[in-house]
Parts: sequence; structure tokens; C-alpha cells
Amino acid sequence: MTASTTSSGRRLVRRPGRAGAQWRAFLFVVPAVILFAVFLIYPMISTVVMSFFKWDGFQGSVPVWVGIQNYVRIFTQDPVFWRAFMNTVIWLVLSLIVPTTLGLLLALGLNHKLLGRNLLRSAFYIPAVLASIAVATMWVWLYNPQSGLVNGVLRAIGLGALAGDYLGDQSIALVAIFVAFVWQTTGFNMILFLAGLQGVPEELVEAAKLDGAGRFQTFRAVTFPALRPTTLIVFVLTMISSLKVFDLIVGMTGGGPAQSTQVLALWSYQQSFSNHVFGLGNAIATVLFVVSLALVVPYMIWSLREENGR
Amino acid sequence: MSTATETARMITIETGRKAAGTPQNRPRIRWGLVGLWIGLVISALIWITPFLFMFVTSVKSTADISNNPAWSLPTVWEWGNYAAAADTGQLWQSGLNSLIISAIKVPLGLFISALAAFAMSRLRFRWQKALLGVVAMGSLIPVQVALGPLFSTMLNFGLLNTKLGLMLPYLAFGIPYQIFILYGFFKAIPEELDEAGKIDGANNWRLFWQVILPLAKPALAALFILDFVATWNEYPMALTLLQTQDQFTIPLGITNFQTQYGSDYGQMNAYIIMSILPVLIVYLMFQRYFVRGALAGAVKG
Repeated sequence: MTASTTSSGRRLVRRPGRAGAQWRAFLFVVPAVILFAVFLIYPMISTVVMSFFKWDGFQGSVPVWVGIQNYVRIFTQDPVFWRAFMNTVIWLVLSLIVPTTLGLLLALGLNHKLLGRNLLRSAFYIPAVLASIAVATMWVWLYNPQSGLVNGVLRAIGLGALAGDYLGDQSIALVAIFVAFVWQTTGFNMILFLAGLQGVPEELVEAAKLDGAGRFQTFRAVTFPALRPTTLIVFVLTMISSLKVFDLIVGMTGGGPAQSTQVLALWSYQQSFSNHVFGLGNAIATVLFVVSLALVVPYMIWSLREENGR
Repeated sequence: MSTATETARMITIETGRKAAGTPQNRPRIRWGLVGLWIGLVISALIWITPFLFMFVTSVKSTADISNNPAWSLPTVWEWGNYAAAADTGQLWQSGLNSLIISAIKVPLGLFISALAAFAMSRLRFRWQKALLGVVAMGSLIPVQVALGPLFSTMLNFGLLNTKLGLMLPYLAFGIPYQIFILYGFFKAIPEELDEAGKIDGANNWRLFWQVILPLAKPALAALFILDFVATWNEYPMALTLLQTQDQFTIPLGITNFQTQYGSDYGQMNAYIIMSILPVLIVYLMFQRYFVRGALAGAVKG
């Protein structure tokens, strides 16, 4: 960072009217900066500030400073918070493994020139353009204990013992929602990997084959290293989207049964807007904020370093 | 057997191309690829099953749904479910709200992002790098972090439950990602073009409007489509900031229908199908832009 500033500083020759040019250039970013500052940065800072206040969210009532009391409460007296935290971590780990691997496998398969491959790609990708809330409603119906397809098929093929009210069962509700998530997001990962695969040098693959490398060896030695930037993007996007998971859970269980599918994003929302304890809601949102930063900042630093290295 | 061989040959089109280069001129069938193809077709069928199930349910009566197996075709095709669902769920009202918001937000947001990305990539001003960093960071923070204060801000501005009150944060949260992508795209346009323009006496605005924007059309088209879909589908902010049904957007219409009339499965599925139709049509029409949009994000690595 410092190196780049000095080098560009040396290049810049002070010209008359540079302040004017600066100002004219800045005009272009003004609309974006205002919107960004007022409706994104300010609310985020405000979340952190308000996490030290007690407020019921009604107009006219005054927030009261309570110091770190909200944090003490969520960390020591709120079992739902820890449940939500654990579920968020579980969701994060599962989504770094399952939809990513499936997406990669599909991309490897559909990178071959096969009959109807565009149609096949579309079949996997289409769920990704749907509203998560629509996906949630679809899957609630698929899981319906009486008339849903999942239970209907299980009973018909003699696995009736496995049939049940998945979304109403504390031990598997989260996994049942995750299945819907996999259905929705795998196609997006596939598209990203397919894009990445176009950057794998064909000559290297051919060369590896000529050297007698097997398919797996070729993948490990040539394809996978070339996919590294794509894999990183997929991981970052997956982490972000798994911290945001909200619509699917609201639509499928609302966090229940007995808070077993609660996650940080939803618990924060419910504390603020359903239970009218904005201070606690904001404290949970702040935890989510810190977790997001912890996951995103290393990537940002790495990517800025790459940018400067070029 | 020969038909099977023929099919296999068709499936593995690449065999023909490869075989031309090999010494023996007989196309070799790669059975591995045939197996792969069969596996992929089966997976794809499983993947689209929820859609088929949803459609079949949407044209069944309630009695039909509870008496017959889930996968059976309707005894009577109840197309009336669609009109009834649109009516009970106020589909046209929600659809119109979503359409108005998308029609204003998407082009406006893209324009504002393009302006900013232009200045950040082609012009020089103080704090340029810092701004880029903050913007990039902004695109990666979950919106749920800000919901509480967004609610009180809109409450104070008197903009709760209005389209404007929803569009402003939509713009703010859409901008970072778009700036990030367009910044990369603009950077890749050769600097000589600017120099040529400046010699011709073009000011910044003309450079932006007549040189850079036309060159960025593919990226703009991709972002336009992606943003339309994202705006149409957005849920958490709409849930927080909209309160009455006459202001609801499509996603709120869906949850509202589910909570109020969720036991009428035929109508509910008809409602979902109608609500996802616009994005499906957009996807089918602009498929290649979706891929390109995703590509733009991936190449940025």
C-alpha cells in the first residue's frame, strides 16, 4: 500500500488547476457516496452504537444507555443466542463443503461437450434465480407430512419408516432446510466453476495426458491449481451467503421448532422486531458484523495485495 | 445395439473431433462419457422435480390433493386456481409494486455505480484507494446487520412503508458490488482512449457518456439482469420496511399468502408459479448474460 502511494506520487506532476480537476472527479462519486454513507455505513455504525442502549423501538420512547449489559445478557443469559451461533457455524461449515463440492463436480461433468449440456446446466442453475422465500414455500410443500412429495415417495417405495414431519422435528429441521439451500445454491457454484474452468490451459491438460497422467492426476496437478482463484471466490461468496441465511429459515420454520433452527441473522431480527428489545437485537447484529469482518477482511487484504502486485 | 452406439456417438460429440486427429480414423466411443451423461440427466431430472410437483399441485383441487398420491396427475385440471390465487393474494398489486421499484431502482443504481466506478478507475482524486476498499467491504457485509437502524432511520424520515423508503437502501446496498465489478471492467479499457478524447477536447462527462459507457455495454447488461433478479427477490429489507399489504412486494406477497391461505395448496402453488414467472422469463431470455455476470465476479479474483 505505502509503496504504491509513493510510486504514483512520483508520477503525478503538480499542474495548475489540479484542485479543480480533483473536485470535478469527485462529483462523479458524490451520489454513490451519499447513498452509501447514509443508508449503509450509518446504519451499520448505528447498530454498534445502539447495542449499548436499551430501546423498545417505538417512536417517542428514548433509548437508555446501559453499557455492555446487552452483551452480558446475550452471552450469559440467552441460550437461544448460543443455539443461533452454533447453527450459524454449522451452516457455514456445511455450505463450505456440500454445495461447493457438488457445484465443482457438476461443472467438471458439464464442461465436456455433451448432448444438451446447456439444457442440463439450466436445470441446475434455475433454482438460483428464484426468490429464497419462494424456494422456502416450495420446500415446505415438498416436506408436507400428509400430501408432500418427499413423504409420498418414501412411503411408496417402502421406506415409510423414514417418512415424517421433518420441519417439525427439532433434530433434523435444520438439515431439512439445508437440503433446500443445497438445491438452490449448487447451480450458482457450478456456473462459477464452469467460468473458472474456461481459464484452465488446454495445452497443460494435453501435456499431462501425453505424460501418461491419469484423469485424477491431471485434475490434481493441472485443473485444480488453475481453479484456485475461482475456488477462493466461491468460498468467500459462500461464507457471506451463509451468514445472511434468513429468508429460507423464516419461510420454512421461523426459527422453530423450539428455536432449533435459529440463526444469528434471524434471532437479531426477531429480538428487535418481534420482541421489541432493540438493544439485544443490535448486540446480536454486532456479533454478526464482527464475524463477517473476521471472515471478509483477510480476503480483502489478500485481494488488495494481488491488485498492487500486478 | 447399433442405435445405442449411434446415440453414444451423438452424446460424445467431442469424440468425432478428437478421432480425426488420431491415427485410426474410426470414431471411438467413450463409454465413460456416456455413463457421465446418463448420471447428469438423472440428476437434472431430480433437480427439476420440485418444479413439476409444484405445477401438478397448482392445477389440483384441495380434495384431489388430499385423496390422491402426490405425483398423480390431476383428476380435473383446475386452471381456475391461478385466477383465484391472483385475486386472494393481490398478485397484481404486489407485482406492480415490485415492478415499479425494480424499474426505477435498477437503472438508477446502475447509473450511479457507473459514475462512481468511472471516477475511481479513470480519474484521480484523494482517498480513491480507501474508498474502493470501503466499497468492496460494503458489498460483503450481510444486510441483517443494519436492519434495526434502517427501520428507525425510515421512521424518522417518515418513509416507512413507502416505495421511496425501500428504494433508498436498495440503492445503497446494490451499489458496492456494481462499483466493484464495473471498476474492474473500466480499468481494462485502454488509457489511450481517454488521451485521444482529451486531445479532442472532451470533458470528463463526455468521456464517460460517449466513450466508456458504450464500451461497457456487456458488463452493464449482465449487471442489469442480475440486479433486476436480486431486487425482485429481496426479502429482509422489504419485511422490515413495508407494513401494509398495498405496499407489499412479491416476496412479501408470497409469505402473506402462505400464512393466510397456506392450507389451499393448489392456489398457493399457483401463486408461487406466477410470482417466479417474471424472473424465469428474464433468465430464459438473457441466459448468456447470467453466465457472463457470474464470470465477471469470478474473473475478478
